[in-house]
Amino acid sequence: MDSEQDKIALVRNAIDVETATRHVRAGQDGAIVTFDGFVRNESQGRATSYLEYEAYETMAIAKMKEIAERIHERFAIHRVAMVHRLGRLEIGETSVFIAVSAPHRGAAFDACRFAIDTLKKTVPIWKKEFFADGAVWADGELPPTPPSAKTAS
Amino acid sequence: MEQATATVRVKVLFFGRLRELIGVSEEVSELPEGTTLSGLFERYAKRFPKLTEFRGSMVVSRNHEFAAWDTHIVAGDEIAFLPPVSGG
Repeated sequence: MDSEQDKIALVRNAIDVETATRHVRAGQDGAIVTFDGFVRNESQGRATSYLEYEAYETMAIAKMKEIAERIHERFAIHRVAMVHRLGRLEIGETSVFIAVSAPHRGAAFDACRFAIDTLKKTVPIWKKEFFADGAVWADGELPPTPPSAKTAS
Repeated sequence: MEQATATVRVKVLFFGRLRELIGVSEEVSELPEGTTLSGLFERYAKRFPKLTEFRGSMVVSRNHEFAAWDTHIVAGDEIAFLPPVSGG
């Protein structure tokens, strides 16, 4: 467990993937798995011009930290770096970057996959896609809601 | 004469397509004590009828945690109405 060494951030400029990767690398590790999500040039057959991301920043950071804590609990990993970029992004630019280090590769692969899948479902960040002839908010996923307050208490 | 009701003051936030739809990103709202998140939504839906059609495709958070719609609001809460998320 090394969650106080994790790096969780929202940024408005280019994500420095090398620094993030170096951040999780240590002598006790044998593997790093990274996920680099970047802007594709099309969406459902329409040519994308650029994207804009916005976030509920305080909650997004809290939810990203929660994901990091969960993968520390579930997988035998060492450190996590998780960075999401906001604002306008051009084709090919990295929007999200995750690096996970571990003594052995299996845990790093599993944890990295779990982290990006969970981020896409639970972190309050929104993407607007701009095309030559207009713009749309990406469909997205509805995060799971807790049960009724009456039964939850 | 109308009876005085205790009120609570909360911060309300809208994001993404909801923010665009109603043109409000953040405001302070004063509500009768005992109002639920659902009740708060209804007040906004009355003011911005277009919100109604999005009721089934949004979630609500209270103090940075996703919350059930029947949760009661407490003074000082930060409430946000959130469309489906699409980060990554």
